[in-house]
Amino acid sequence: MATTNQLGIDVEKYKYGFFEPENYVFKARKGLSAEVVAEISHMKNEPDWMRAFRLHAYEQFLKKPLPTWGADLSTINFDEIYYYIKPTEKMAESWEDLPQEIKRTYDRLGIPEAERKFLAGVGAQYESEVVYHNLKDEWEKLGVIFLDTDSALREHEDLVREYFGTVIPPEDNKFASLNSAVWSGGSFVYVPAGVKVDIPLQAYFRINAKNVGQFERTLIICEPGSYVHYVEGCTAPIYTTDSLHSAVVEIIVKEGARCRYTTIQNWSTNVYNLVTKRAVAYRDATMEWIDGNLGSKITMKYPSVYMMEPGAKAEILSVAFAGAGQHQDPGGKVVHAAPNTQSVIVSKSISKDGGRAGYRGLVKIYPGATGSRSAVRCDALILDDRSRSDTYPTMEIDEQDVSITHEATVSKVSDEQLFYLMSRGVKEDEAMNMIVRGFVEPIVKELPLEYAVELNRLIALEMEGSVG
Amino acid sequence: MAVPQAPPTLDRSPVEALSERLQEPRWMRELRLAALDLAGRLPVPSRAEDPWRRTDPAAFELRESRLDPSVVSGPREVPALPAGVIFSALPEAVRAHPDLVREHFMRSVRPEESRFRALHAACWTGGTFLYVPEGVEVAVPLRSEAWIQSADVALVPHTLVVAERGSRVTLVDAFGSMAGTWPALVNGVVELTVKDGAEVRYVVRQDWLADVAAIGVIRGRVARDAALHTLLVGFGGAVVKTDVESLLEGPGGSSEMLGAFFGTGAQHFDVHTVQEHRAPSTLSDLLYKNAVRDAARSIFSGMIRVHKGAQKTNAFQANRNLILSPGAKADSIPNLEIMANDLRCTHGSATSRLNEEHLFYLMSRGLRRVDAVRMVVEGFFAELLDRVPLADVRASIAQDVDRKMVQ
Repeated sequence: MATTNQLGIDVEKYKYGFFEPENYVFKARKGLSAEVVAEISHMKNEPDWMRAFRLHAYEQFLKKPLPTWGADLSTINFDEIYYYIKPTEKMAESWEDLPQEIKRTYDRLGIPEAERKFLAGVGAQYESEVVYHNLKDEWEKLGVIFLDTDSALREHEDLVREYFGTVIPPEDNKFASLNSAVWSGGSFVYVPAGVKVDIPLQAYFRINAKNVGQFERTLIICEPGSYVHYVEGCTAPIYTTDSLHSAVVEIIVKEGARCRYTTIQNWSTNVYNLVTKRAVAYRDATMEWIDGNLGSKITMKYPSVYMMEPGAKAEILSVAFAGAGQHQDPGGKVVHAAPNTQSVIVSKSISKDGGRAGYRGLVKIYPGATGSRSAVRCDALILDDRSRSDTYPTMEIDEQDVSITHEATVSKVSDEQLFYLMSRGVKEDEAMNMIVRGFVEPIVKELPLEYAVELNRLIALEMEGSVG
Repeated sequence: MAVPQAPPTLDRSPVEALSERLQEPRWMRELRLAALDLAGRLPVPSRAEDPWRRTDPAAFELRESRLDPSVVSGPREVPALPAGVIFSALPEAVRAHPDLVREHFMRSVRPEESRFRALHAACWTGGTFLYVPEGVEVAVPLRSEAWIQSADVALVPHTLVVAERGSRVTLVDAFGSMAGTWPALVNGVVELTVKDGAEVRYVVRQDWLADVAAIGVIRGRVARDAALHTLLVGFGGAVVKTDVESLLEGPGGSSEMLGAFFGTGAQHFDVHTVQEHRAPSTLSDLLYKNAVRDAARSIFSGMIRVHKGAQKTNAFQANRNLILSPGAKADSIPNLEIMANDLRCTHGSATSRLNEEHLFYLMSRGLRRVDAVRMVVEGFFAELLDRVPLADVRASIAQDVDRKMVQ
């Protein structure tokens, strides 16, 4: 008999649903205290300011309440989580140097093939630290820095210190406080003025031990006139105990620069995915978040863009797919704090098999942000009568000279569409699949090719058995 | 404005005195006192959480010492009515039709829902009772009212409408203040019960004067194949927080929900709507339009909730906001919670300033700017008013818009 998980997916068939035996150099104890925080900092040999930052953040974490809105987080047991695990003593220089089991993991994820094709930099996170990095030589010559954040702290301390925690302060929310206290890994990207990085920078993240919390910390700095596309892909093996993923991503997009950040999140369905992502965009800068959420038990993630100077632009594209036992509560926030700023948010959510998906967002227009424009579009597809869709947009408009629109629809797959396709000889399950693919198409087409392929494949997988 | 900050001392004697003056039967006095007791136990709402993030609940704390049953409330006039129709002031109905009132009073809106609802049940000072028997159609629109006519009073009006199977009726409620600026507090409840196949149209014109803080709820329960139409027009008051809720409880039920708010000066309107679909094949269609000028603020937060099993539902929600001057604010929070799949559900929200091209066009035809602006604002509300088949209501609302424009 085939083993199936709670989504009804055949685990054997699902190639990301595997895990490797644990073999770790260091394993911190479960639970969190000021001592554990100080120990993490000590293990990493960090400067004093970072240790102080962590300890301050830990105090904030203790003070902050859990959010009273959104998904039910009361079942998270903060004492049952490992806050730091170091998989190997030092960074691997090349693919060949990686431990055999980690290599096997990534073989199954398809990293080497991707690299052979057109991957430029690979920052692969296995456990709590980035263990593999590869950056094309020519970018190094251009001054682009693409490192794991721990290495960046050692090698570019002044740069990290200047920006770290400036976009998302440790006081921001409980999970940002937690990340600030115990962060490990993540990516650091620095793009000098005028440099356009024409191939996406990519990092794969994995969770691969019981009760391992992943607290990666990503910081991206785009100097004036630069461009970068950062791709964060998450796939996780399936485990039986709950896991917490609480990342912080800070992005600074300076004058005339453009940054695109793409995420395909496919954590296993026991992971709490509670992520704070925020960008500040200055004069004529553009920030784009593309955010796909398929996995996890609960996702609460609202990528935001603060438009600080005239002409800044924000674009947020969000896809959520919730199956059995899943609650996807993603969304986006755009803050218009300067004149002539523009934002577009497009959200597509699908719920199925009792899952709950939706959109939660904020459009804030400050006084003086004259000539600002914002358009929000949310569409939801509910595939059966046990599933649920929520839309919670908030618009706070404190300026008259603006144009703000919001539209949302919720519907089922229409019988006419199905009938049309089936009358053309398409089988019902394939027809359903095509309709869902068409539904998310506006967002999929924005993804790099291999991610588009992966997202379509994942959706097809989720859709299996949805007819009948 | 004068706002009592401390929670009220929940003294029984003013409530007992009120009940005495209204010559109430024992059950009503007991209902009041039980609700008063409940109000003392229910928490004062926290500003940190919805639905009080944007409006300070302290503005609506009721002190029983201000209760005044002599405020004007009830039918404005009682025309000749078909047999069996009851249209009277609520205190009168409590005495004359105790069983009927007891069956419906504070049944849709419950005292235990919140401190303010409990205070209403304990302290209600008057209102209107309208009962239409099965199959009876009331051809003429009925009118009732509630007026503040002295300083520093609490007006706690209750409108109770029961439309039996297959009946039809229209009620126009007018809430307002007599001339003069008096600080006053209003805590109102409207309960509309629309039984199978009945049709009720309910219009509220709210035009409090400047120093009034008003909290209230309008809740309609719509049964099988029944129809409820509501129109809420809010132009007055300093701080106004209103919930408008339609509960679609029977298959084939429908609810049309219209609202127009126009804030000037420092007015603060916080309107929350609910379209609750509990049965299949139900329809709700909502359009709320808010205009704000000067330092006024409007908040529209709407919820469409489609329950499990409420298939073949159609639910629509639209909010349009017009910001007329720098400093005015409009918040829009249109929410959806959908737990059925075979449905059509949409919401839309748009906020913008006056369209300069429209103004330019009108001014190029010789209109002064001020008149052009007035015309555009009238046009903004016209889309709503055109959906109300009550010519005199439309005309008086149009006048109110004009009056607000020159304020």
